[in-house]
Parts: sequence; C-alpha cells; structure tokens
Amino acid sequence: MYDKTVRRRRALLVLLVVLSLLLLTAYFGEAPGGRLHGVQRAFLTVVSPIQNGANKALKPVRDTIGWFGDTFHAKSQRDSLRRQNSALRRQLVADQAEKRSLRELQGLYRVDQLGVGNYHPVTATVVGKSPNIWYATVTIDAGSSSGIRVDDPVVNGEGLVGKVAQVASDGAQVDLITDSSMGVSARLAHNGSTGIVQPKVGDPGALLLQYLPSTTQPNTGEYVVTSGTVASPDDSLYPPGLLIGQATSVNEETGFKSVNVRPVANLQNLDLVQVLTSASGSRASTLASLAASLPAGQSPPGGEASGEQYASSGSGG
Amino acid sequence: MRPEPSAMRSTPTASLPLRLAGLALLTAFVQVGVVSEVPIFGVNADLSPLLVAFVGLLCGSTIGAAYGFAIGLLIDLLLLQTLGLSSLIFTLIGYWSGRLRELRDPQAALTPLLLGAGAAAASLIGYSLMEFMLGVDAPVSFELLRQIVLGVLVDAVVALPLWALVRVCLESALPEDPRRRRRRRRAYTTGGLSPLSRS
Repeated sequence: MYDKTVRRRRALLVLLVVLSLLLLTAYFGEAPGGRLHGVQRAFLTVVSPIQNGANKALKPVRDTIGWFGDTFHAKSQRDSLRRQNSALRRQLVADQAEKRSLRELQGLYRVDQLGVGNYHPVTATVVGKSPNIWYATVTIDAGSSSGIRVDDPVVNGEGLVGKVAQVASDGAQVDLITDSSMGVSARLAHNGSTGIVQPKVGDPGALLLQYLPSTTQPNTGEYVVTSGTVASPDDSLYPPGLLIGQATSVNEETGFKSVNVRPVANLQNLDLVQVLTSASGSRASTLASLAASLPAGQSPPGGEASGEQYASSGSGG
Repeated sequence: MRPEPSAMRSTPTASLPLRLAGLALLTAFVQVGVVSEVPIFGVNADLSPLLVAFVGLLCGSTIGAAYGFAIGLLIDLLLLQTLGLSSLIFTLIGYWSGRLRELRDPQAALTPLLLGAGAAAASLIGYSLMEFMLGVDAPVSFELLRQIVLGVLVDAVVALPLWALVRVCLESALPEDPRRRRRRRRAYTTGGLSPLSRS
C-alpha cells in the first residue's frame, strides 16, 4: 500500500515535470503566431475584462499604499524638480530661437519628418505587470479592436515606455524598454550622435546607449531621444524625438563609446499609457513597412539614403 | 446530514478543490493588480511561490505538485510569459514543500517564514537558471544578486500574513493528520496540560 502511494506520487511528479518541459520546448520553438501563443492570446481575451474589473476594484488599495511612498519622497522630489525647472526655463529660451531657425530651414529644404502627429494615440490602462525580474512586460486593456498592432510604440506622459509585443482583441502585452528583447535606435539630444539603446546587461531597470562613435563627447545629464530610424528589419520604427532617458555616466570602450541611461518613464508605476497606432496606408504605417522590408544599410532604389535614414526622413511635400 | 468533524475525517472535503481554485484566482488578481504595482526597495513581492509552498505544506506533496503546475500555467497564461517555465519551477516547489511536511512535519512558528524565504529563493534562482539556459544575455552580476536577495527578504515579510490566510481558507477542508493527533495526545500524557484540566 505504502509502495503504491510512493510510486503514484513519484509518477505524478515526473509527469508534471515532463509536461512542463514539453510545453516549454514547444513554446520556445514556435513562431509568435503559433498555436500556444494563440492559446495565450485567447486566454488574455477572456480574462481581460475580469482583470480590468479587478484592477479598478483594487485601485483604492494601490493608491493608498502609493500615497505613503509618494509622501515619503515628496520633499526631495520637490527640491530636485525646482532645480530642474530653473535649468529648463533657461534652456527653453535658447531652444525657442533654434526652433524658429529649424522651421525656416525645414521650409527651405521641404523636409517632412515623421512625427508623433502622424500617429493616432490610443489611451490604455495597465492592468497587469509581471512580478518577475526576468520579464519587463505589462498588460494593457486595449487591443486589436482599438486599432493596436504588434510593434506599435507605447509612450506615457514622461517618455517612451516600450512597444506592443502581442495583441488580443481587448488586450495587449507591452515589452518595456528594459526588456531583454528590446533595442531602440536613439541619439543624444544635444550632441546628435546616434546609437542603440538596450537594457543594461545584469542591471534590470537600467539602459545603455551603445555604439556611439569614439569621437563623441557625451555629457552626463544629457537627454537621450529616439532617432526615428531602424537599425535592422526586426526593429520597430519609433517617431523621432521621443524622450527615452537621461545619461548618467559615460563608458570608454575600444572603438566606440557607450552611455549609461536612466529611463525617464517610471516603469515601476505605470498606470495610463498611450499606444501610437497608425491606420493602414497612413504615412507612419507606410514608412514602418518600408523600414521593415529593407535590409539595414541598403539604399532604397533611386535614393542616396540608407534604409535606416530613409525611414526617418523620406522626402515629403 | 451533519458534516463530518475534521478530527474524524481521513480524506479532504469536496470543497477543497474549490477553495484552492478561489485562493489561486484571488492571489493572481491581487498579485497583478496591487502587489506588482508596489515596489518595496525596488523589487516586487511574488505571492505565487509562497502560495504553492504553503499549499504543499498543508496538503502534502501530491496536491502541492499538482497545484504548483496549475498556478504556474495560470501565471504564464495571464502574463503572457514563456509557457511551462513557471509550471516547472512551481511544481518542484509544491512537491518539496509537501515532502517537508511528510518527512519532518515542522511545527515551529517561524516555519512559514523560512519556507516562504526558501520558496522565493528557489523561484528566483530557478527562473534565473532557466533564463540563462534559454539564452538570455545576462551575466551573474552584483545587481542581479542584490535583486534576488531583496526579493527573498520581501517575500519573507509577506509570508506570515499569506500563511495565515491560506491556513484559514484550507484547514477546515483538510483531513486530520494522525501524527499531529498523536503528538497532542503525547503532550497531554507527558506533562502537558489537556484542555480539560486547564478549564
């Protein structure tokens, strides 16, 4: 009797472990459009309304706990923001003059850059977040029924948050910019040097702007923004000028430089986000398809710009 | 017909699966809706390995392993994570928590706290090992170790209230453990005060 119980217990353990390994292997081996991914999306469609309801019901609890944290940090944040405000005021005056000159030059050269204005923002609430340090993802309560598609950029009031990874009809999964799968073409806001922002290996929550030319002189505190280009056909096309983060330190490496970047968006406390959707046939959608179809570095037919450049500043007018 | 008193029952009541399912859903939604949104020292508490470990400790290794598999599947489906990864880790946590009860039956007040910390450590280290094996480009850095240690500490803090909740929800549906009954009887006969003599 005892032997039978032991055998049954061990058989169950082996069965469950084998089942888990089979699931893991099948899921890891299949394409994002595969059957198991489809099951996940269907499950998300079913639980999205429940999750949304539970999220709303639990909001007072979350806000109460958040209130204590906010109060604790309020004073130091106020002092820091006052200093930042006075610096930004000075910068604004200088930037206004530059902006006027830029507008005049753009008029002269008929350059029509892809901007946030070319997108239709869809506001969504974050209803789920993975507690695991290995997954920098959130779930939102809007999906394909709101026009959201895979690879659409996601922003909040502070800056770039991530991109859409999977879509169900009433929900979507967003990979945050700190997720190990992410890579965003970016440039230093003042300096203008471009590179790729990726999560800093071994430091969850931090970013690294890599592959800057060795001649670049980046400054600590300088802002890092999206460059509006793609570095490979798998990348998403983000509109240029979206704020990603602030440079915290510079690393000197052989052949190139890299900059440690602190994301400006508070990715730990996301509540509302906007997904930048583009209707099919719109300028943003056309450029994204074009960027995805060109091998990186290949010149478009009849053009001088590389595929990367073409995505950001196709001839307008 | 009157329900069988738990002291005389030898099998779990029919309500046990319902209670386990209710606990799983409650924990999943509280985790996703509140706990994941409130970082403590930069990390979030993870209730699921704690829940699996406590169910294993109360119900034994068979139910613990099956429950771990189910919770893992639910979490992977709910958060669109790699399917099977959480199931694998939680199955082992549930099984070994159940074996701890079957082999040692620990009675100390700090058992849930230590088991919670152990389950959290097993979960965090298990995830890290699996992610390394699946090819995620991340070295074992000081920052990663700091996150694991802080995660274990934060989970240990929430372990006691969660243990109280799990016990309240499940204990009345579980059969009486003959070893505990024997232990109580032995305590009365070897100098411990029986409830009758105290009254």
